[in-house]
Amino acid sequence: MSDEMHVLDLLPAYALNSLETDEVRRVEEHLFGCLICRNESNAFQAAADQLSFAAPDAVPSPELKVRLMQRVQATHPQSRTSVQTPSGSWLERLLPAWSLASLFFIFVLAGFNLLLWQRLNHLETVTSPGRMRAVPLSASEPTSRATGFVLISSDGDSGALIVDGLPPLGESQQYQLWLIRNGQRTSGAIFSTDEKNYGGTRIRVPGSLLEYTAVDITIEPSGGSSQPTGARVLGGPLSTP
Amino acid sequence: MDSKLFWFIHFMKSRTDYARYDDEKLISLITQMQEGALAQLYDRYSRLVFSLALAIVNDRATAEEISLDVFMRVWQKAGTYRSDQAKVSTWLTHIARNHAIDVLRRRAARPDQQAVNWEDALPTDESPKYDPQESAELSLQRERIQAALAQLPEEQKQALVMAYFNGYTQRQISEVLKQPLGTVKTRLRLALQKLRDFLRDERDAEKKSVEARSAYNITKKE
Repeated sequence: MSDEMHVLDLLPAYALNSLETDEVRRVEEHLFGCLICRNESNAFQAAADQLSFAAPDAVPSPELKVRLMQRVQATHPQSRTSVQTPSGSWLERLLPAWSLASLFFIFVLAGFNLLLWQRLNHLETVTSPGRMRAVPLSASEPTSRATGFVLISSDGDSGALIVDGLPPLGESQQYQLWLIRNGQRTSGAIFSTDEKNYGGTRIRVPGSLLEYTAVDITIEPSGGSSQPTGARVLGGPLSTP
Repeated sequence: MDSKLFWFIHFMKSRTDYARYDDEKLISLITQMQEGALAQLYDRYSRLVFSLALAIVNDRATAEEISLDVFMRVWQKAGTYRSDQAKVSTWLTHIARNHAIDVLRRRAARPDQQAVNWEDALPTDESPKYDPQESAELSLQRERIQAALAQLPEEQKQALVMAYFNGYTQRQISEVLKQPLGTVKTRLRLALQKLRDFLRDERDAEKKSVEARSAYNITKKE
């Protein structure tokens, strides 16, 4: 009984994670077989959890979200962006399908236009009827077969990069896209290419993509760098001719 | 061509309104690798997570790295979340606190005991990227815990801060404060008991108020 009282006394510190290892073991052994103490412990834990709200309010920099989404893209390039809701009315379920089908149709047309553009090899910005822009990139080395383009939505809030002819790098390296504004370079994406030398990724930067004037792609250590350190492989101006 | 079309579709991310989903639904969508759901969860809780990490490590750059790791862990381990064990916000703050305290211990250095300034724990300017309703709820929770902490004697509050925000064990607190271990144990126990009772009383009062309002509305309709 005295041992049980002692464990009860330890529960607040257990909830705060401020017990020594041997005390934690003793409490956990006791909690395993004692429902009353378990309930008591849960109540203390709930109170301790509230302490997180007592931290002085602070706001992270806007770049943090950009970095998070870039890291997500770099680690899970197959991640999906659309919602598939299992529940809801038949109309609700049908709407995303219609949207996707419409998008698919639009992009088949857009893709066809872009293929034509690639064949004609015109180094000029392609502007779709919806004012979406596709800006070609050129290789830094004349002997390189690397090509690519940057897609920018009409409002500049969304962007994507597609590259071809860039060989896959080892595990220790990745390609990194930089957006240039007033001579300053901001990381826009970190990506890898597949065995067919092909790759694509979303571009995420603080503010609108329309504010940037040019892009570079460099080879950087895995996970990316805060500023370019490696060789430039692709690049080009973003501004519309 | 197929993979290129995939990227076109990917690029034209459907701007689904993830804001209408509750936290648990977002977690379930994250397990399906929907980045929009993660972005929404980030908008809701990055401030809470960052504030907590900053209060523990007392360095903005490190706190941002910790926040990044917390949300990456959510992205990679969303399937391990158990809604019957904790709210999503609690799960996030557990991850954030454990990670921040690990960082502190690895650095083998801790910020001053007074790094957490209770007087500063007030809402700052609202960023438009944050869901206003969620921000209001977090502000309310902040106010509640501030009111509860204001009831505590200074030495109990100090022991709580050292345990929760500095990651000290009872023994370490006793060494730092040069107080007997028994005294520290008592302070921590009394502090958390008072906090628990205060929050329970507040919750009961809130429940009664909701019931009274509901009864009033029913009477009014009749």
